[in-house]
Amino acid sequence: MLSTRVIPCLDVHNGRTVKGINFVNLKDAGDPVEQAKKYSTLGADEICFLDISATNEKRKAMLTVISKTAEACFVPLTVGGGVKNIADFRDMLNSGADKVSINSSAVYNPRLINESSDKFGNQCVVLAIDAVENKIMPSGYEVTTHGGRKKTNIDVLKWAKKGVKNGAGEILLTSMNSDGTKQGYNLKLTKLISENVSVPVIASGGAGHPNDMVKVVLEAGASAVLAASVFHYGIHSIYSVKREMLRNGISIRDCENKNE
Amino acid sequence: MNLVIIDYGSGNLRSVENAFKNSIRTNNLKVTVKVTNSLNIISKADYLVLPGVGSFPDCKKGLQKIDGLIDLLTNQVIYKRKKFLGICVGMQLMVNSSLEKQNTLGFGWLNGKFKKIKTNGLDYLGREYKIPHMGWNNLQIKDKNHPLLKNITENEQYYFVHSYGLENYEQDQIKAYTNYSVNIPAIIGKENYVGVQFHPEKSGNSGQKFIYNWLKWLP
Repeated sequence: MLSTRVIPCLDVHNGRTVKGINFVNLKDAGDPVEQAKKYSTLGADEICFLDISATNEKRKAMLTVISKTAEACFVPLTVGGGVKNIADFRDMLNSGADKVSINSSAVYNPRLINESSDKFGNQCVVLAIDAVENKIMPSGYEVTTHGGRKKTNIDVLKWAKKGVKNGAGEILLTSMNSDGTKQGYNLKLTKLISENVSVPVIASGGAGHPNDMVKVVLEAGASAVLAASVFHYGIHSIYSVKREMLRNGISIRDCENKNE
Repeated sequence: MNLVIIDYGSGNLRSVENAFKNSIRTNNLKVTVKVTNSLNIISKADYLVLPGVGSFPDCKKGLQKIDGLIDLLTNQVIYKRKKFLGICVGMQLMVNSSLEKQNTLGFGWLNGKFKKIKTNGLDYLGREYKIPHMGWNNLQIKDKNHPLLKNITENEQYYFVHSYGLENYEQDQIKAYTNYSVNIPAIIGKENYVGVQFHPEKSGNSGQKFIYNWLKWLP
């Protein structure tokens, strides 16, 4: 049976893992390569890196992080942040990424979805959508860019459908309202998108407890769950999340209960 | 022994190389790994690996761009009986044809045709099946005594990502299926050549077991 994937995400800045709220007051939180290895050993079904470096120069550090991780971690690796064109896409894939997530650049240049999926296949194009609640929008949610700071006047459901039609193989859906709250994923938003697109939807933003993962799968149809801080700070382990999922009848890939 | 991973511009060569090198290193095997599109080096290889991500027609085009490569592969694998592994689209290319985007011919080493996966009904959680079939799934092992499946159980999972599945195949060419609403061939092969729909290079320890079995396999 196909397992629901549990995906830890690491924010990377100038080649180092960082922690901070809404990308401010960043604190160094270690070596992303070592952390990815650890997550992989602990049962992560995929690893996600989000590069939040501000300049192209610093982004080169990300390619080194990807290639070192790919040498040691034999699980799928998704990388996003600052991917503007086909050349950036190729750099990431050649370094060892399996999937590339695109966000702002797809909003400003929707052709990038077509071009990248034509060139590299739908399976490696992940459309990342940062959604905020906005009652004026037909679906009730608006697409934002730049970590939720810039509004776009684009409806989230319409954008998700367009992205899939243009070739996205997966959607990474973040509720900016829930992000960082640890109060649970946005079930309404996740359900709306997962029920209306044909590709898998990764739920993101708001995970605070293994039960949040269970809920977003059972009640909102997520194919995968992504979380950053709950795993990073050791509040909950991948094992405890999977155990809770299994107890609730969700198929998972087995992992051992190792001490972190 | 020397192993060649065939570079025809398709995707995740680095991951495949890393995973094979890791297996070779951890098991102290005497195998060297080269990633190349040189016909000369390919013709001298002992083992051949053909990766593939993206669409079937694009991968076929990529192979055709290297003059003489497809004929050389058939010569090396079918006539010289070199050990061969096709991964994902590399596996799909081993059969007669695929209907992805348009009807495109494969190498025709095995019978069958790739068609869009037709799921029916709802999954165990009452949801529509998503396409691509993406994520970790179990094998249903058909050929239990095959050396490639040594120490691999049906409880283990492998990483799949594909929208097309093999149909019109011959039963005895199927070593294992996976189930996603329907049974989809996951390991196919005959004599010295085998193809896997999943990505062993991305399937953690279970993938490493398969790669080790393949490296040790004496067809």
